Amino acid sequence: MTKGTKILVVDDEKLYRHLLEINLGTEGYEVITATNGEECLDLVSKKHPDLVILDVMMPKLDGFSTLERIRQFSEVPVIMLTGKNEERDRVKGLDAGADDYVAKPFSATELIARVRSVLRRSQSTETSKAIRFFEHGDLKIDLARAEIWREESPIYLSATEYKLLIQFAHNVGKVLAAEELLSAIWGPQYRQDKEILWVSIARLRQKIEKDPHNPIHIVTRSGLGYLMPPNDSSN
Amino acid sequence: MIEPLLPIKTDTLYTLSKICWESSNWKQALDVVCSEIRPYFIFDNLAVFLYNESHSDLEVAYARATGRGKTKEADVAWGESVIQEAIEKNQMILSEPIEDKSDRLQRPHILALPLLVKKAGLGVVTIIRFGTPAFTKDHIKFAEFMASQISSMILRQERESMINQLQEHIQTLQIQDDFISTLSHELKNPIGFIKGYTTTLLRQDTSWSESDQNEFLQIIDQETDRLKDLIDNLLDSSHLQSGNTTLNMQLLRIDALLKDVISHARVHHPNIQINLDIRQELPTLQGDPRRLKQVFDNLVSNADKYALGKPLLFRVYKESHGITVDVKDSGPGIPTKDLDKVFERFYRSEAQSQDTRGSGLGLFICKKIIEAHQGQINATSIPGKGTTIHVFLPFNDI
Repeated sequence: MTKGTKILVVDDEKLYRHLLEINLGTEGYEVITATNGEECLDLVSKKHPDLVILDVMMPKLDGFSTLERIRQFSEVPVIMLTGKNEERDRVKGLDAGADDYVAKPFSATELIARVRSVLRRSQSTETSKAIRFFEHGDLKIDLARAEIWREESPIYLSATEYKLLIQFAHNVGKVLAAEELLSAIWGPQYRQDKEILWVSIARLRQKIEKDPHNPIHIVTRSGLGYLMPPNDSSN
Repeated sequence: MIEPLLPIKTDTLYTLSKICWESSNWKQALDVVCSEIRPYFIFDNLAVFLYNESHSDLEVAYARATGRGKTKEADVAWGESVIQEAIEKNQMILSEPIEDKSDRLQRPHILALPLLVKKAGLGVVTIIRFGTPAFTKDHIKFAEFMASQISSMILRQERESMINQLQEHIQTLQIQDDFISTLSHELKNPIGFIKGYTTTLLRQDTSWSESDQNEFLQIIDQETDRLKDLIDNLLDSSHLQSGNTTLNMQLLRIDALLKDVISHARVHHPNIQINLDIRQELPTLQGDPRRLKQVFDNLVSNADKYALGKPLLFRVYKESHGITVDVKDSGPGIPTKDLDKVFERFYRSEAQSQDTRGSGLGLFICKKIIEAHQGQINATSIPGKGTTIHVFLPFNDI
């Protein structure tokens, strides 16, 4: 199974990249490396690795944020690698969508065993697909870089607005209830706080819709919620 | 004859409270208020008493005598007689003169108002008029209004200074926190490499070529050294911090010492070219040669870290009271705002490249050693051009 299996190793420390490269190399895996989160996102979308080994403690974009971005567009299995072995961090990593967790310092054989196990699980489900760019009418989203364009000009969204838009992008054609959106983006304690959703939807429409009064990307279904219509019917 | 006082209008109240809420110094604000209110409200003496820190006693915090015969009145009364009553009853006390004495100064009208914030006492303000006019109902209400303004000003300023203290405290904690996180990262990395490469060598399911084995062993060896250096630095800095270090002072020649440092550097930092510039005959001085070498070794190793591959210049000159050694690199420099901080324990510049490894202890150790020699160390820098560390060592026997 290891032939042609590609593993992306992401760590800012050269000696760790080297360590993983040589050990995984003996197992017949093809190893590619990245030194930071940005590079990692690029390689995930371009080279389609079968597994990512991701260090948590990296400058700028740390491992958790990198994983969050990966999960916007790819289901590739991820093993988090970190110096912190606290439960809080393990939970955070697993919540963010990590498949396993290896704490530094680790032994070479342990790591190889974990890699084998995660790959075995993922190959049985075969879920790794990477769709980095999402398009909806005149709207285009780069899920890896969290960037948005309408008719080729960039649109700047706040973090909340972006998360809101992504909820719709991941559920095209499905009506999303206000409670559902509030709970997903603001947290369960905001389930009833419909006004903040209304304001946020209005602001988002101002930015992404050509005519905010006649929206085509985020449509209201009275009494039910909001919907991003399927691509063929948008317009 | 005193001119009749004008009635206090909303406008007046607004102006006065604006002065109060815009001020960042309640005493200055009160000065302004005292002069602004003259047409509406007069007094001879005014005093603010506040609780001391232990809240056990009142201390005068502000006092103004504005009356007609200032000095005389200042001598007479500040309302001490009714302060206690105002505090105990926690309410405004008006004390009117009883006997009709001919001396105005014997007939004080005293208002004492507790300064309260949410029922907690801050202190008392007293307002005294000698002789006429008596305090009218309106005047008393106005005095209460002013007392509440004064209370909220004092409270606000107390909070501001508390916030400042807390912020300083948080900053200190942040520096320590950053240090611990940097340190644990710095300690864990070598351990992680040693563990990783050792277990790689120990793998039984594969065999490594001799050159691979050699490479792994070299990494393990280097990382062990790094770990040892780090721990040494850490212990050293904590000894120096607590002042538990004794210097082994002896007569030494600084030029010979620097030549030693340079030849040591040729072995340990082969990438860096060091020039030594000594223009005059140098007298000997008292110092601990091992510790001074440590300082200059450290400066060389810093230059190797931050000014990669750029030459380093040691310029040595004699001054009237000692010898100065300038260590000048041509690296990226240190931002001006960071210059004073680089010698602080745990400090690492934000602008520092991510690849450089350091614990934030090196320059701190240097400073402590130089200070133990009664000398001085400081840094000057031109961003983009380089940094110079100036080390001054005095002649006098220690």
